[in-house]
Amino acid sequence: MKEGLFLVQKLSAHPDSRCWFVAWSPSGTLLASCGGDKAIRIWGREGDSWVCKNVLQDGHQRTVRKLAWSPCGNYLASASFDATTCIWKKKNDDFESLTVLEGHENEVKCVAWAPSGNLLATCSRDKSVWVWEVDEEDEYECVTVVNSHTQDVKHVVWHPSQELLASASYDNNICIYKEEDDDWECRATLKGHTSTVWSLCFDAAGQRIASCSDDRTVKIWKEYPGERELSWKCVCTLSGYHGRTVYDIDWCCLTGYLATACGDDTVRVFKEEQTTDPDQPVFSLAAKATKAHSQDVNCISWNPKEAGLLASCSDDGEIAIWSFHEGN
Amino acid sequence: MDGGSGNEDLFDGIVMADERFRGEGYREGFERGTHRGLQDGRRHGASHGAQLSTEISFYYGFSITWKCILQHKTDMKSRKRMKALQSLLDMIQNSPHDDPHSSTLQEDMDKLRAKFRQVCSMLNIPTDFKDYVRNSESTSF
Repeated sequence: MKEGLFLVQKLSAHPDSRCWFVAWSPSGTLLASCGGDKAIRIWGREGDSWVCKNVLQDGHQRTVRKLAWSPCGNYLASASFDATTCIWKKKNDDFESLTVLEGHENEVKCVAWAPSGNLLATCSRDKSVWVWEVDEEDEYECVTVVNSHTQDVKHVVWHPSQELLASASYDNNICIYKEEDDDWECRATLKGHTSTVWSLCFDAAGQRIASCSDDRTVKIWKEYPGERELSWKCVCTLSGYHGRTVYDIDWCCLTGYLATACGDDTVRVFKEEQTTDPDQPVFSLAAKATKAHSQDVNCISWNPKEAGLLASCSDDGEIAIWSFHEGN
Repeated sequence: MDGGSGNEDLFDGIVMADERFRGEGYREGFERGTHRGLQDGRRHGASHGAQLSTEISFYYGFSITWKCILQHKTDMKSRKRMKALQSLLDMIQNSPHDDPHSSTLQEDMDKLRAKFRQVCSMLNIPTDFKDYVRNSESTSF
């Protein structure tokens, strides 16, 4: 089969508004989306097409910016500009609002569930990152507030297997946090981007981080085990590919392909070349869909179970489902 | 030319006067400026120090009060809250806020404020203590 990105379906997910984020459930069967219309929609497959299964409304007073499924797939967390984070519990085929996490001073920009499912991280325009602990009775308690960034924190993501947290900020930096004596501390600051870092993700093994930025580049960072301090170094910079801000990046845990969402309305897929030196990885453009959307592409996400299945969403309010085929 | 040496001294005095007065003026001005600067600095330091002290003392009173309220409760939740309160108290007591030369003052204050927000969240208290907290946040060092 020919190599490339093929459009499977377009969904008018959040009409007359922006679609900010899409998240696949851990089983890969459901796709959750959120947007400027304050709503969350759950999409599922029926036959060959994706249809809206649920609409979660009245949870938030303002834009819902990001979503996160718990590793068990039974909970969905939503981060909103109304300064709150909502936890939704899946019941049969419906979702009910379980609890509302308050504490941030203003817009919550991102939420992420730790691989264990016992910890939740949130970040906000108030420059802080919060870690919440979940107990057996579905009660959430804040275990730490960290102020390591000097500006708006855009994104938080957990290491795929360890309790290690990473955040990206408007201050151009990435911070990595680890728990120490009951408190979370910033243990490494990754400097290199020359403008806002919009998003970041770990590779399947958790040894590398890919970050994307307003400086139109993608950077790959590698962990170098140190004595006590965590040491991450930039081993690769992808520049010249993106015409505008790169808003999101996702590293497929099944295939190792990197997908990016860009302000030039294009979705790109990068492939890592076989090289002998792990300290100098090389990536090449494997496919791109220009005019993937009619406006900025905000988010990109690989299906966690079905290799090559990709979802993107945009300021035009739509979700696009893509099928990526690798060449021989 | 006759009487050259006397004239030279006279002219010398005139020529050098400018420099001499300039030097004296500078010294006098410097002394006054130093004095004035010290006064301004003292005032500035006293007012910001008072603001910072108000904030820290507020956190201290807050945590002592909550410790008293929770100290006899034995349930898991209260114990966790007590632990967080204790760590806030430890941070207050260990912060070198009486040392104006401390290089970690700013960092310590940031940590203290973050801890306070965590404790407020655990206790379900809205953090709208503007009179105590917001003022100090706008303080720059």
